[in-house]
Amino acid sequence: MKNYNKVIQDIVRSMLEAGLVEEVVAFGQDPASVDILPLFITEPQDAEKVVAISYYPCSLAKLVALYGDKDKKTGMVLRPCDARALVELAKRQQVNLENIYTVGIECYGVVKDRAGNNEIYVFPGDMEIDGESKPLDEDMLAPGCLRCEYPIPTMTDVSFRLEPKGEVSVTANTEKGKEILSAAKISSTEGSPTDISAIKERAARWQEQDFGELMKMEPGERLKYWLSQFDKCIKCYGCRNSCPICYCSDCYLEPGRMLIEGEEMPPEKLFHITRLMHVGDSCVNCGQCEAACPMGIPVSKLYHMLYKELSPLFDYEAGFDLDSLPPVSSIRDEDLLKTGVELD
Amino acid sequence: MAVEQKQDFEPRILGFLCNWCCYAGADLAGVSRFQYPPNMRVIRVMCSAKVDPTYIMKAFLSGVDGVFIGGCHIGDCHYIKGNYYTRRRIMMVKKVLEVIGIEPERLRLEWVSAAEGAIFAEVMKEFTQQIKELGPSPLRKELQGSKVAK
Repeated sequence: MKNYNKVIQDIVRSMLEAGLVEEVVAFGQDPASVDILPLFITEPQDAEKVVAISYYPCSLAKLVALYGDKDKKTGMVLRPCDARALVELAKRQQVNLENIYTVGIECYGVVKDRAGNNEIYVFPGDMEIDGESKPLDEDMLAPGCLRCEYPIPTMTDVSFRLEPKGEVSVTANTEKGKEILSAAKISSTEGSPTDISAIKERAARWQEQDFGELMKMEPGERLKYWLSQFDKCIKCYGCRNSCPICYCSDCYLEPGRMLIEGEEMPPEKLFHITRLMHVGDSCVNCGQCEAACPMGIPVSKLYHMLYKELSPLFDYEAGFDLDSLPPVSSIRDEDLLKTGVELD
Repeated sequence: MAVEQKQDFEPRILGFLCNWCCYAGADLAGVSRFQYPPNMRVIRVMCSAKVDPTYIMKAFLSGVDGVFIGGCHIGDCHYIKGNYYTRRRIMMVKKVLEVIGIEPERLRLEWVSAAEGAIFAEVMKEFTQQIKELGPSPLRKELQGSKVAK
């Protein structure tokens, strides 16, 4: 089990030792406690705290955008959803990808919570709890992960694949990735690509289940459902604060912006609808909003549902190509030739 | 009975008209004495791209039955490319309406030039009729008693 961590720790350590990066942002486990915490590591000896455990308490891309230094060479250990969020933030000029070296972990889902602080690893068909192999329990996974169809971090410089029984294979995706691997003296394994058909099947099944039942409703019923969900809101701003796509420093939803009144509970329905409109076109389905919500509003379901509607409409996949800009706030060349009120 | 009620129902429509084209088109429709239903309240905006999606949702949450947005034809925008943005935004807002459970047909974007008074009147007739057929906005019923619905 420790082998999973060891390869990643080696890479983090050698990136720091070789001077490739000045700091590394990754999740680590403090030996004194069992909590998984985001770490900003600058000393090579601290690399041993980094873990690859299947649990993702917050978005590292958001942390780097908020607290990172754009001019500092930074390394990051990321899951695919967070790597996509990082690309989306780069499109919005919040991070400088040229200075970021990303190491991605292939991810087949993370657990909702680590009851008893177990060490859990999730694989396509099974999972490992404290070293014991068990069949995959879908109830333990975060709801967003069940709908996720992007388990491979192709947009990162180096990607890792963890396999049952402690096997690890490493692939360099870019020139920067090769630099990282040569610094760590690890050879890139050009193994067979991971079979993601099981993940795609699971994603399709859960999307059908989560979205299908809502879309089958009459519009009025669906509206009633969402309004009753919005009524649970206590306006803690948790969803906004945890969302990697929500990047504005001066947020529209603050009381001073004349849209949402302060000291009003639950907030006006516009609170959720505005957030939906602002992130819907680029939602990476990381599920942080829903995990942050103390009232259990299925917000990530709502945003992901809109994203899945908009993605084919605008022919846009969030988080992959740095050159394809957010579809609602940018226009493309082919728009100029179309004269109708819709693009098709 | 239900059909009768629908016929009696007078929809409230909010229109955002671009100063340079659609507003002038509406003006021309008035000056030329073209008849069209008086259900729309107009807000003049300098460009259709000024219409933040939030305005549209605020209008629906305030109890209007339909929202109309009028802009210049593609290529005619006074600000060169405002209506290209409008087009993408309205496509997005229509999906938002669909996802949260409001009929997307309640929102309509149309290009009307300053010379198209007759077309403006025609579009108004059509849109008002469409909203009449859809009936009152479901939000009106849902938000009754709360302070936004008047």
